[in-house]
Amino acid sequence: MAIIEKRVPDSVAVTTGPPARTTVRHGDPVTKAERREGRAGYLLIAPTTVLLFVFYLYPLALTVYYSFTDWNPATGDTKNLVGLANYADLFHDSEFLTATGNTALYVIIVVPCTIGLGVFFAALLATPFRGRGVYRALIFVPHIAPIVGSALIFSYLLSPLGGLINSALSAVGAPPIGFLNTQPWALITVMVFSIWEGVGFSMIIYSAALANIPDSYHEAAKLDGAGPIRRFFSISLPLVGPTTGFLAITGVIGALQVFTQVYVLTRGGPLRSTETVLYYIYQQGFVFFHGGSASAAAVILLTVGIVVSVLQLRVLAKRDTVELV
Amino acid sequence: MTHATAIANTPARPIKRRRRPRSFRVRARAFAPVIARHGLLIVGVIFFFGPFLWMLLTSFKSSSEALSFPPTFLPAEWRFDSYAQVFTVAPFGLYYLNSGIVTILATLGQIVTSLAAGYAFSRMHFRGRTVIFVILLAALLVPFEVVFTPLVSLLSQLGWLNSYQGLIIPNVPSILGAFLFRQFFVSFPSEIEDASRIDGAGVWRRLWSIMTPMAAPMIGSFAILSFVYNWNNFFFQFLVVTQSRYYTVQVGLAQLQAENNSSDFSLLMAGSTLAIIPVFIVFLIFQKQIVSAMSGGLR
Repeated sequence: MAIIEKRVPDSVAVTTGPPARTTVRHGDPVTKAERREGRAGYLLIAPTTVLLFVFYLYPLALTVYYSFTDWNPATGDTKNLVGLANYADLFHDSEFLTATGNTALYVIIVVPCTIGLGVFFAALLATPFRGRGVYRALIFVPHIAPIVGSALIFSYLLSPLGGLINSALSAVGAPPIGFLNTQPWALITVMVFSIWEGVGFSMIIYSAALANIPDSYHEAAKLDGAGPIRRFFSISLPLVGPTTGFLAITGVIGALQVFTQVYVLTRGGPLRSTETVLYYIYQQGFVFFHGGSASAAAVILLTVGIVVSVLQLRVLAKRDTVELV
Repeated sequence: MTHATAIANTPARPIKRRRRPRSFRVRARAFAPVIARHGLLIVGVIFFFGPFLWMLLTSFKSSSEALSFPPTFLPAEWRFDSYAQVFTVAPFGLYYLNSGIVTILATLGQIVTSLAAGYAFSRMHFRGRTVIFVILLAALLVPFEVVFTPLVSLLSQLGWLNSYQGLIIPNVPSILGAFLFRQFFVSFPSEIEDASRIDGAGVWRRLWSIMTPMAAPMIGSFAILSFVYNWNNFFFQFLVVTQSRYYTVQVGLAQLQAENNSSDFSLLMAGSTLAIIPVFIVFLIFQKQIVSAMSGGLR
């Protein structure tokens, strides 16, 4: 019986034990029974924790270390410390700068377009009408399709040979466009693909947020004579602000990890013009075996990712989906 | 008539429902938003879903028909050669088996380890619980893809490249999963568990017979998303596997594109269809769970 009375609400993040035990850290065992059961706790968290340390945190530490060495992933040897040389080289490597620029373009173009189209379709689907579920499902579906498969469809649609889009262009007398192998079209193609793939996610997130806006807000505005477009910009959009923040940040994190569509659509070409930072790291590590510069680029990407993720947790905390410790 | 019902279904227009518009102009003004909405949505569906329809139709055409100008919409003759061909030019049956093994085992592993860890982090008391949890949360900040270079060389030292364990085990620990199950158990009332503890049920008994069944809906949504994630995963599998013996569907499909000089489009579209279909079937069945789990913060 005593156990129940002593139980501390676990959702409370700070130390809120019984007054006599304020020095006990939250989660530490208090009673004898808790201590005995606590041993099982270690066993229960062991699989996740151990695997995570081996396959994630250990490689992470190695990445940081290798970024200061001339590590060769193919042979695995000659790990001489080279200081900051890898980092210095990166900033003189035009390919790295191109890749960084492309990743930045993703952030500037793909993320806002994905968010904008997402909220646009979510708003169109906000009120119930016949066929709403079908529309939503069909617009959402690119987001869960495997990227290799759907990128292959794009490579066919945009092919200069037999592709639907170029056939349509030549039907109206326009010259064919090398969507996959000429600049700047290749980069545009990869970005349009990424938008196509991401809109479904932001749409359903916005749908959930729009559904949470009380009807009375819209009713009141309607009585004041506000039309649907006015209501969207003056009521819906400001009220889903936290959602926009959440999507902006997950979008940025996603933009840092773009690889598959580049690999399938363009292989980074033409002339490495569509490489992203992750694609660059892959090239350095697995094609040229420059483990050092691959790791240095990874550390830079990581740093950006962590900064953005810290922002993400703040936004998530505000959005109430995630409860911080 | 259909427009009238669409209007009647829209709660936003209570006044116009009663007044019957007389002139064409008045009626057009009443229907304009409805028509505009459907028009925009149809354009959206063509853009977002059209490619999949085109993929499916092309997969039933002959290779030459897929390249013909002007393109045909429906296949001149519905053929299944491309599907047969996918299985002869590459061991796609084996790829399916590999993807199935990897997806199912990784999903199961993610569920079991996340459930156990989430339960321990929410309900059990042991030293270091908070510290370990904060470390895990911090690790959640880092995109997994970035550490792949040393990870792959670690797997190569273990001899795990080109193996099932190499494809599965590094994917098993899911911080997000542990985190979500913890959230679930934290918000779950503890009375039932306390009652059974007093009745003498031990930790394992409580976890297995009480908490796990209670968490069934959460396990369900997590399992579905996990399945989709693992089936779709390409980057990691692409790095770990170089022998076709261990190719998964996604890696095999990318290889099919590389080897076929990317011009046999009916073959490639048949391959794409085969790679996409399992996810679409899961989506058709579990659409509600997928959408609500994703909009609830799962990714």
